[in-house]
Amino acid sequence: MPTESLVLEVKNVEISRDGQKVIEDANFSINRGDYVGVVGPNGGGKTTLLSAILNFLPITKGSIRLFGTEIAKFKAWEKIAYISQQATSFENQFPLTVKELVSLGCIKKGNVGRRFRKEDWSAVDNSIRFMGLEDVANKRIGQLSGGQKQRVFVAKALARNPELILLDEPIVGVDSNAQERFYKKLSDLNIERKTTILIVTHDLTSVFCRMSKVLCVSKKVEEAKITDDLDANKLLKRAYGEHFHFVFHKHECSGVFTNGHC
Amino acid sequence: MNAAGYSQMVTANIIDLFSYQFFQNALIGGVIAAVACASVGLFLVLKKEAMIGDGLSHTAFGGIALGLFLGINPLLTALGVSLLAVFTISYMRRKKIAPTDSAIAVMLAMGFSTGLIVISIAGGFNVDLFSYLFGSILTIDSMDLALISMLGSAVLLFVGIFRRELLSMVFDEEDSRIMGVPTRRLSIIFDLLVAITIVLSIKVIGTILVVALLVLPGLCALKLNLSFRSTIITAIGFSVLSTLLGTIFSAVFKLAPAGVIVFVLVFFFFVTLIYKKLG
Repeated sequence: MPTESLVLEVKNVEISRDGQKVIEDANFSINRGDYVGVVGPNGGGKTTLLSAILNFLPITKGSIRLFGTEIAKFKAWEKIAYISQQATSFENQFPLTVKELVSLGCIKKGNVGRRFRKEDWSAVDNSIRFMGLEDVANKRIGQLSGGQKQRVFVAKALARNPELILLDEPIVGVDSNAQERFYKKLSDLNIERKTTILIVTHDLTSVFCRMSKVLCVSKKVEEAKITDDLDANKLLKRAYGEHFHFVFHKHECSGVFTNGHC
Repeated sequence: MNAAGYSQMVTANIIDLFSYQFFQNALIGGVIAAVACASVGLFLVLKKEAMIGDGLSHTAFGGIALGLFLGINPLLTALGVSLLAVFTISYMRRKKIAPTDSAIAVMLAMGFSTGLIVISIAGGFNVDLFSYLFGSILTIDSMDLALISMLGSAVLLFVGIFRRELLSMVFDEEDSRIMGVPTRRLSIIFDLLVAITIVLSIKVIGTILVVALLVLPGLCALKLNLSFRSTIITAIGFSVLSTLLGTIFSAVFKLAPAGVIVFVLVFFFFVTLIYKKLG
């Protein structure tokens, strides 16, 4: 794979928290257009790994390169959007409409304190349209359902046209229909805009049906391409333990609303 | 005197009041402080950091006492002490010496005790210290007005320019940092603006009640479930209206202006609360 298509490269990374190794010897790479599911047991280090990729947490060993640049020297953060676990935990009375929140996504290093231009507003409108939120654009975010809120956060991320979107357990507490719509939109985004997506989730069916790659994180990180002959059960047993059982065949994904990857 | 006669007399009194320079100064100074307090205060309420307003206003009391003791404009020394308090709170928070609420409590206690010690050393002051504690909007002179206008313009200019970035930080600080918002610098500048806003409001409402002007307008506006743009405009509206009505009522009925202003604000708060309950 040519280096210009490398979005993220993690080499021999070790991360410690309070003197305890949380991640050890992580090695994997993510290329432009990959749709990656990050799975693993609770406390396995998924969020820690994401925090290190975002430079919120220092690594104790190894190297992380974003778009070919060592993370410590990386400056082009506008290429990356992040949707945290807490993103939707705001109070319902927070005074923001969908359009106002999505417009906050247009803020970047170059325009801090400046008036938004026409292009910024059209990016806001396009993102709202892409995520199917036109009908609720002027509603306050507190009035939306869980699924709608999540789509608003993706729209906010899209407003600055990022090349990589990182999502940390974005669909907790959302019903299955809303999950379907949410994953469908992410698939559209990945296919139509070639946006690289890395999503931490416990929804294994969605990962194996829709995504191109899986990272199993349980202190160690195991990377696997999702193909017809991938033995998902074997892979997941190594992360979740021998008691874990997950039967998966690609053809079963036909019941799931997929878009392109299967 | 019958009701109609009394109402005519009150109206005549109000019209008379507007012709006095001191009253015009009071209204202009009051409106500037009201606008600054409502705009900064809304962000404080959304950040759940209203107590920093209370802490800094009490710290400013130490600065006022120091100014009176040294013969310097007390508002300037209050500004200096408040800014120092902001930097100290920020340092304690950053270096994890104390959590924010404890750091505020320490600075509040230090500022207030400094004031008490200075007062006891000076053996009391000729100038009525109560006017700084509880405000004296009707004594705002042209020097005060110039200082209030200057500080108020700085606050409004900053909030006007960086409103989106401030909102983004309040909503999701981590994401804002990734987007390129200089979160640490903006946070410190914002805290400095809180200190400036408090100082410019001391003459209007006093150090004890300034927190009401910071917090209540935003709280009232939030009860109405509006967009951010409408919320900040509504908060400013509540703040200005309360200050104007409070100042006028207090002058006509010879009551303490700060008390009446806060009373009007509390009245608006209950009205919005009932409005929200009704649906």
